[in-house]
Amino acid sequence: MDRLIARFVQYNDDKLELVDVFENSVEKKSIKDNTIESISKRYPTARWFERKIKDDFGVKIDKAYDNRVLVHHERFPHVNPMKKEFDIKEELKEVDFIPYRYEVVGGDGVFNVSVGPIHAGIIEPGHFHFSQAGEQILHLEVRHFYKYRGIEKMCENKSLKEIEKIVARISGNESVAYQIALLNIKQNIDKNHKLQNAILLELERLVHHFTDIGFIPNDGGFAAALTMGSKYAEDTKRLLEILSGSRFGFDSVFKALHVERKKQEIEEYVSLMSKEMEWFEDWIVDIPSLWDRLDTTGIITQKEALNYGCVGVVARCCGIKRDVRDNEFYKNYGYEMAQEKSGDVAARFKIRLFEIKNSLLMIKNMLKDLKSFEVENGTTCKDGEYSSFVESSIGELYMYIKVKDGLVERFYVRDPSFINWQGLHLMMPRDIIADFPLINKSCDLSYAGSDL
Amino acid sequence: MIRFWEKRFTNRILTENLEFDKELKSIQKELKSLIAKKFAKSLSIRMVDCGSCNACESECNALSNPYYNLDRLGISFVASPRHADILLVSGVNTFNMNHHLIDAYAQMPSPKYVITIGDCTKLEDSVFDKNFAIVGDIDKKIPVDYHIQGCPPTPDEIIRGLLDFLTNFTH
Repeated sequence: MDRLIARFVQYNDDKLELVDVFENSVEKKSIKDNTIESISKRYPTARWFERKIKDDFGVKIDKAYDNRVLVHHERFPHVNPMKKEFDIKEELKEVDFIPYRYEVVGGDGVFNVSVGPIHAGIIEPGHFHFSQAGEQILHLEVRHFYKYRGIEKMCENKSLKEIEKIVARISGNESVAYQIALLNIKQNIDKNHKLQNAILLELERLVHHFTDIGFIPNDGGFAAALTMGSKYAEDTKRLLEILSGSRFGFDSVFKALHVERKKQEIEEYVSLMSKEMEWFEDWIVDIPSLWDRLDTTGIITQKEALNYGCVGVVARCCGIKRDVRDNEFYKNYGYEMAQEKSGDVAARFKIRLFEIKNSLLMIKNMLKDLKSFEVENGTTCKDGEYSSFVESSIGELYMYIKVKDGLVERFYVRDPSFINWQGLHLMMPRDIIADFPLINKSCDLSYAGSDL
Repeated sequence: MIRFWEKRFTNRILTENLEFDKELKSIQKELKSLIAKKFAKSLSIRMVDCGSCNACESECNALSNPYYNLDRLGISFVASPRHADILLVSGVNTFNMNHHLIDAYAQMPSPKYVITIGDCTKLEDSVFDKNFAIVGDIDKKIPVDYHIQGCPPTPDEIIRGLLDFLTNFTH
């Protein structure tokens, strides 16, 4: 089965056109009678794509088993903001509250637990709706798009230069990946520029993974690991600040940062972190009560993950070989794909440990080749349609831009989280509700990225 | 476990900003009495994200790492607005979150304060413009007492902001 990467609608002159992006092909169909046919029975993740299309463009979805709203919440008026005639500046008025029908399991003694949108921690807003039989989770529905900022519409009719700053701030923990995706579309890149960005991308991945190897044990009740993990993440953020001027690499990818002048700092960091990781791994694998929590919790089988087309860590934790970095460029610098089979929290934890070591090795090797370079300002991008894939710290990021008269006509991003959020409920039915934070953190998905 | 304690002894205390700590010491007395009088010796903050890019949340999480260790100042993040003295708001205030933000503020017991964090909360400083999905105007929806700027503000800037707020803006 060909994997569905994205499904979205765009304007072709004045007519709407449906674009299906599969792993091996791209299909375009013009939309007739304002209706498209649902493929959500064959591709489960098509469901959110189609509901989003319905909200954005008012296109009807034929043969869909789920016709609820996605982006437009209870008080959102009936407008279709992505249509050309809709003015982005229009001020919307809240309408009467229309309750959202959650997916619930019925039966004697089955009850529902609602969590969110505001959670009991420093995290982003999103809603989780559990159907429970006692402690046992029967079903989970993930409901997001509280952070819907209308970024797709916001980028329209702007030049590629003008959207740089917006794209960098779509999702803070994937900022570098987003910027690289835009840069790949925007201009031809010098080899050294590519190397510099690859180093930044690996550093961003390190920040993410270090935070997670702290938070995953912490959610399993082992707080000492968080102290260590957050220390490593802070060290990495500080290095990113030295290199790029921003602790998250905001607005850094498009220029020459002269990373090669800071070789010493990076080398010191890499050797220190390699030693620390050796110690950390040696220490953490030897704590039986922690692994009791991680092993066999939140299992996703390979079949399920293939069916949903999961990406990133979630795919690699159950034996799927899927990584955008799996190419000659990265292999030359020592890239090795992390692979686990068991699909549980422990597998995702081990993948992160492996990728940390691999990223450190790659940074070390890339640094040897990096030479000084200059960036020519301006864009080499002509009118047309462009796509770009980047492996962000969460997984495969897909960006699509249609340029017309030098301006962005359609901007579309499919964050890796958009796919993986839909697969999250697959990990629940064998576990109890107290395991949810642990499972959720082991995937560590972005809310801002999928909400846009 | 013995390995962990070994590590603790070799790592020693990482908490830094000693210069800043001196500054802190001088106002600590005042601060302590302030927190004691106003907030029963501990200051509780509830964070609500209403449309940020998650960098501000990441920096607030970083406040509890060993380098900053915010708890040493008697300031802690709590799980519910009903436990909180301060509502820390980040993000542009989206259409879908606006209502929940007002709700969270209404749930807080008095006396209550609101601090906005990050450039997004003031749209004129932000890279985002007001549009159909962004309501903005947080200060018009709930009374805002203080603003910490930056995109995102570093943990250091957040701590300084909080101290400045405590010394000058609580009454």
